[in-house]
Amino acid sequence: MRFSCFRRPGRRGILVGTGLLAGLAGPALAQQQMPADTLAGQHLPAVRVAGVRAERFSVGSRRLTLDSLALSNYRSGTLTDLLSARTALYLKNYGPGQLASIALRGTSARHTAVLWNGVNINLPSLGEADFSLLPVSGTTAVTVQPGPAAATYGNGAVGGTVLLSSGAAAATWGRGWQGTAQTDYGSFGLRAGLLTVGFSNQNVAVRTSAGYRQADNDFPYYRREAGGRVQHRQENAALRQASFTQDVTLRLGQRSEVAAAIWLTDADRQIQPGLGTNNTHARERDQSRRLLASYRRVSLRHEWTARAAWFEDVINYRDDLNGLSESTVRTTQAQAEHTWQLAPNASARLGAEAQHFAAQVDGYGAAPRTENRYSGFLLLRYDPRPRLQLSLNLRQAVLPGRRPPLTPTLGAEWLALQRGPQALSLKASASRSYRAPTLNERYWRPGGNPDLLPEESIGYEGGLVHTFTSQPNHVLLQTELTAYRQLVDNWVQWTPGASYWSPRNLRQVRAQGLEASSTLTWQAGAYHLTARGAYAYTQSRKTRGTAADTDPVGRQLPFVPLHSAAFSTDHAWRGWQLGTTLTFTGHRYTDASATDFLPQYLLLNASVGHTLAVGPGWRLLVLAQGYNLTNKEYQSYQNRALPLRHGSLSLRVLWH
Amino acid sequence: MKPFSAFTSAYGRLLLGSAAAFALLACDPDNDPEPVTLTTNSVFVVNEGNFLRSNADISQFSKSSGTVTSKALFNSANGRSLGDVAQSMAIRDSLGYIVVNNSNKLEVVSLAKFRSKATISGLKLPRYFVAASSDKGYVTETVTYDGSNGQVSVINLKTNTLIKTIAVGVQPERLAVSGSRLYVTNSGGNTVTVINTATDAVEGTIPVGDSPNSVQVDQAGNVWVLSGGNVAYNADYSVDYSRTTKGSLSMIVPGQLTAATRELDSNRSAPDRLTINGSRNQLYYTYQGGVYTLAITDAALPATPLIRRRFYGLGVDPQDGTIYGGIGSFTAADKVIRYRSTGAPLDSFTVGIGPNGFVFY
Repeated sequence: MRFSCFRRPGRRGILVGTGLLAGLAGPALAQQQMPADTLAGQHLPAVRVAGVRAERFSVGSRRLTLDSLALSNYRSGTLTDLLSARTALYLKNYGPGQLASIALRGTSARHTAVLWNGVNINLPSLGEADFSLLPVSGTTAVTVQPGPAAATYGNGAVGGTVLLSSGAAAATWGRGWQGTAQTDYGSFGLRAGLLTVGFSNQNVAVRTSAGYRQADNDFPYYRREAGGRVQHRQENAALRQASFTQDVTLRLGQRSEVAAAIWLTDADRQIQPGLGTNNTHARERDQSRRLLASYRRVSLRHEWTARAAWFEDVINYRDDLNGLSESTVRTTQAQAEHTWQLAPNASARLGAEAQHFAAQVDGYGAAPRTENRYSGFLLLRYDPRPRLQLSLNLRQAVLPGRRPPLTPTLGAEWLALQRGPQALSLKASASRSYRAPTLNERYWRPGGNPDLLPEESIGYEGGLVHTFTSQPNHVLLQTELTAYRQLVDNWVQWTPGASYWSPRNLRQVRAQGLEASSTLTWQAGAYHLTARGAYAYTQSRKTRGTAADTDPVGRQLPFVPLHSAAFSTDHAWRGWQLGTTLTFTGHRYTDASATDFLPQYLLLNASVGHTLAVGPGWRLLVLAQGYNLTNKEYQSYQNRALPLRHGSLSLRVLWH
Repeated sequence: MKPFSAFTSAYGRLLLGSAAAFALLACDPDNDPEPVTLTTNSVFVVNEGNFLRSNADISQFSKSSGTVTSKALFNSANGRSLGDVAQSMAIRDSLGYIVVNNSNKLEVVSLAKFRSKATISGLKLPRYFVAASSDKGYVTETVTYDGSNGQVSVINLKTNTLIKTIAVGVQPERLAVSGSRLYVTNSGGNTVTVINTATDAVEGTIPVGDSPNSVQVDQAGNVWVLSGGNVAYNADYSVDYSRTTKGSLSMIVPGQLTAATRELDSNRSAPDRLTINGSRNQLYYTYQGGVYTLAITDAALPATPLIRRRFYGLGVDPQDGTIYGGIGSFTAADKVIRYRSTGAPLDSFTVGIGPNGFVFY
């Protein structure tokens, strides 16, 4: 193998060009300035019921919000497509539509909490989410908050948190009927359809969406064999996915509302075999049924919220060698919280949550396994001066047989400079976090280890946010720099024993790094530009281990790229739209001794579209998207092929 | 473009600078191919690799220099991956035969430069290879894990093609040739299948201990079979030691269809990896987290280990009796530890993932 730096001069050009463009684009992550610390409901009569989001209590943390422009082009896709194209985050992807797991800030997939409308939807058996099973259409907002925040978001928020919401936002009310219908047609048998209908007046908001997606994924790829480079067609990688979401929010008078949400996803996937490995015709059926009901009441100084959720996650796997393995886990969750507006510049939230898991998993034996987890939390927000915001959050979790330590998070943000168009904020936070052992880690037979301790971490970060606003030129430029460090202790690793593998609390891992990002929005006449650039340096190493841990210390962990970057632009002009995304993923080691690695890759995607007004209230969008335009041969996860250049065409009808 | 002017200043230069620094930093580590020069006095270490990741390869250790001369010999010589799960390697004449289990193939390489000579594909979960002559070889194949019989495929070593398959017992593992007979251990049962290498006809099956997994031929042509014992599981997959049988060592005199079997003392561990020295009079095996040894003439089985360390791969140098133990962490580049024939540690070297066997050339 020969992987030298920049074999072709062209690549250096592209990379430096990226840096340059990112420099021009400057900053901006969509972290909006925090509104003053008040319950919005008290001041905006039109919005009679508005709550305080949990994010308000995470002062000093970096947050990446994917704006509606970013979401729009990926409406019929999955969160894997969206996050890997639009952010510098690395998702370990086993093939198009196949398992994709996230690793935030040098941790593992189990260290990212994925919350849907405030409740954790990680698969309880695996303790992680497969982002290819989460359709973008199921959400109306996607936010990623890297860094530990278990006090705010609960179990598993060690590397970070992904926040998905589908509920009615403040802007939703009073918009009447709306609808879109979309059909996609693309390479390798991609067919997708999506229908969304919404209605809202001042009392009720309803949103329904139903999506369908299928692909043969019989894409060509190349492999070196005895006779040289041979083209193959990918086998056993077809998939069908369907999803349905239903959100209803009903206002009860001036001060309270009830909401209900349903999110059903169903995926029937062939499991893409590795390059040159035995095709055992593996197939997996993943079904998730998520139901959520909530009630909220707001008064002048108080807010009460209660949520109840019921999930059923089914994973049925089959292959020629092992036959069928079935897994169904039902999760029942309840949350209650009370928020006090102590003063115009201070608020507090006290709450508790309970989770009950009932697992019928072949790997755990015939008898069902159940587990209860509880936690109580106190979130405080105090702005001692208009320019200074502080938050202190505490959470105490209770796990079966174990009690993780009290996990606090402390955050501060200070608007240090505000002069003319320039503003500079400093921010810092420190946090202790925990992760409960997953059901597989505890109960899998053989190997499951019921005595595992929860993982614990201590992390801190600091950074600055620079904002440049020029109203006359319609320019907004926001740049954010963050440095962080985190120590994760009791890190769980599956290791081979005398006859089977077993998870153990093996080691301590130190993850540290830098994140830089910029967003520019600029408007000149009818032309709108949004450009975003992001770079992450992620160093994650084992610092010490137990005697049973044979992996060397001080080496970069496998599948954590040291460098990653993303650059995207969206241009709009008189109904036309042009978008580009360029992502760089650095080399990733494939073993704990940091010797073998997957080479770095640069991926370019682009889209062009035109929206036509076809009648009063009716518009038509034609959108062509091209992926991997430079025809790059690459691997995200080891030994899984990914498609070369391919594309899709989508037709969208928008009503109102 | 007025709005951009602010960033041609210090800020812009900073970003430009970091872009340049990034371009320098963000390159893949060096991984240039190593020139392949093979010498005799080499040890080929079979690195099994991670299941489904096609990162199996062969490391070459030079006994004369005491160093690893190539960590991934096959890839270096052929510019491609060896495949998924290298189960074993055997040598016949100047050729190496590498059984790549989850790629369902046998790779044939010239030992002079380790260049691929042929790829014999279409095998069904192949495990081990042995050549009966320069013309004919045999491969055991699991075929399936559902409890049905496995098979042995017969390979024409001149044309590198499959000639036929022979049905044997469940999960056939290691195999050995003594005279004109092939002995195949059926690890899913308790028998050894005897095949006539001239006719490929099954001469019979010999009952041995439960789960025979490895086989060696001594200086007299006697066939030694090591059985792991049948591990019985409770419903929760913990081992039920009340029903687990002990491992055993059997000896078969060629031509006979019976075996003399001796049981090991404990059912808490399954003995495995029966290995023999160059003079073919001293046996070695792994058991109870160590390496045990006995002479073929010993009346009793050894009670204490020669080496107290758990190995994934075991080899004994036919020239000087040096013992090679491979550590299988499957997460990092693994180690091979060398011991003198007395069991005293000698040195260690780093190879690939999961060293499961050693071939001395």
